[in-house]
Amino acid sequence: MAVMTYAAAINEALVEEMERDPDVILYGEDVEVGIFGVTGGLHERFGPDRVFNTPISEPLIVGSAVGAAMMGMRPIAELQFADFIFTAGDEVFLKAGMWRFMHGGAYTLPLVVRAPSGGAGFGPEHSACPEAYIMHSPGLLCAVPSTPADAKGLLKQAIRLDNPVIFFEHKSLYGSRDEVPDGENLVPFGQAVVRREGDALTIVAWQNMLRRSLAAAERLSAEGIEVEIIDPRTLNPFDRDTIIESVKKTGACMVVEEAYRTLGVGAEIGAILMEEALPYLDKPFKRLAIPDVPIATARHFANAIVPTEDDIYNGVKELVG
Amino acid sequence: MKDALRKAYRDAVLSRRFEERVTQMSMTGEIPATLHPGAGQEVCQAAAIAALGPQDKVLYGHRGVTYMIARGTPIAAILADIAAKEGGTNRGKGGVMHIVDVPHGVLGESGTLGGGFVICAGVAMALKHFGRGEVVVHFFGDGTSSRGTFHESLNWCAVKKLPAIFFCENNGWAVSAPATETIAVQDIAARAHGYGIPGVVVDGTDAFAVYEVMEQAVQRARNGEGPTLIEAKVVRMAGHYIGDQQPYRPDRDQASERDPLPKFTSTMLAAGIIDQAEVDRIEADCRAEIDRAVETVKAAPLLSPALALQDAYA
Repeated sequence: MAVMTYAAAINEALVEEMERDPDVILYGEDVEVGIFGVTGGLHERFGPDRVFNTPISEPLIVGSAVGAAMMGMRPIAELQFADFIFTAGDEVFLKAGMWRFMHGGAYTLPLVVRAPSGGAGFGPEHSACPEAYIMHSPGLLCAVPSTPADAKGLLKQAIRLDNPVIFFEHKSLYGSRDEVPDGENLVPFGQAVVRREGDALTIVAWQNMLRRSLAAAERLSAEGIEVEIIDPRTLNPFDRDTIIESVKKTGACMVVEEAYRTLGVGAEIGAILMEEALPYLDKPFKRLAIPDVPIATARHFANAIVPTEDDIYNGVKELVG
Repeated sequence: MKDALRKAYRDAVLSRRFEERVTQMSMTGEIPATLHPGAGQEVCQAAAIAALGPQDKVLYGHRGVTYMIARGTPIAAILADIAAKEGGTNRGKGGVMHIVDVPHGVLGESGTLGGGFVICAGVAMALKHFGRGEVVVHFFGDGTSSRGTFHESLNWCAVKKLPAIFFCENNGWAVSAPATETIAVQDIAARAHGYGIPGVVVDGTDAFAVYEVMEQAVQRARNGEGPTLIEAKVVRMAGHYIGDQQPYRPDRDQASERDPLPKFTSTMLAAGIIDQAEVDRIEADCRAEIDRAVETVKAAPLLSPALALQDAYA
């Protein structure tokens, strides 16, 4: 098993899939250089017909991926920041999400939109984790990899799926290092993973909030509180069963997300638990999320509103301390 | 060219008569009134499509059904889509706006006007990638030309020399807004200069002229020389939707005087491509074909509402 960064794992997934399938292409703003260090070297390796820069034209980037996918290619379109999903709103939600549907299933749309999300210091329009919008919208699959191994395995799987995938890469994780299995390792969509076992409370978290939850869990463990932590890995399809099974054991659930609180992913998970697991809950369901304000540019402002390790520690203590 | 125009003539006549029938059925409530009439633009649409090859692709505009008819989609299938009956092309999902017939190169339409430009760019990227010499044409109106996606797509297709043709049917009206109030220049084709591609203005009521400019654009695209922007000046003879009384339109009563279909007939007769007997036979054939389609669709069952849950995912 090789140890590599999240960014390098994504690069490796791109290389392997482009080697495997000549109809896979990669394009977006500045991908020939790769401003986050993810796509470097691919332009040289695969040439200008398969890896190329585009103008600053997000509707073109996503819309052309829909057009190319419906003709049988497997395009990977990169939005430089996940927030730009809204710049390409028609193309993401109404075209990638609905083109197949509104044409009666005449097409498959095997495209991937890679979207770097989250982080601090990037400003209000370059910091969001907009996965709830995708989860809310029919026709779009949604991946939120948290580890280098999942980033590689989920991306390889996403490229091979016949549905459009919005693939969120968390900017704060690009430099994180971990083991990645050698050889072919596809991570299936719709299978959550239990990152830490415990019986006191179930935390659902992904990406940077997962990292902070795992750190908080270490401190809680030292005090004898063992939390169970579930990483959903994909939000559509969404693995309800793993969460419900965990809640049956723990009787309590807290969702930690790096996104606006109202109608976030946590709200959906809370509703699922109300509908399907209420008898097992003996504590109120709890959300830690960003209060409903945009994410300011000042780093210490962002850190003041995004859930921290301390917030998670305190949140658990409030519920089960 | 003669055979292509002969076919275009029949397609235009069939489209006109079919639309008249659809309008009548809509007014009596037999079918939903969802069609945006194409009356006045059929000749242009049919002549443009006549210049395409069988493997070429079409992303069509929302005005009328000539595009699909000219590509070979049976009118019974089109009527079934309008009526939400079995036998249509999109299983109740898209009605007349999203007719799809992949074997005939009828790729579909964006319901948000202007959404098709960037899809067209992607289709053209794929056609270039697969290298079979196919081209894609995107039809749109003067109103749609105001979307930002117009710029994004034309710029990119020009940069990459993609095999795309952008065909603007300028009828002077974006629903109820006249082009003079919404577009800064007289000719939309003049914008082509900004992309370094040819921009051609053509009389959209002249089938011969439309066919010729389209043929050149197709050749250019097939040769890898990149896109062309064609602007056909056309007449919108009807309202934006069936039943639109057009109170906003001072020339509403005169629009029919500019009907290009009788002109097409007389030009074809004058050129000796068809004779009066063939004109009469085409009229009779089209009416019979429409009668058969109407009977077929009337007899077809409504689509099952269970289909509402299908097709969102592969």
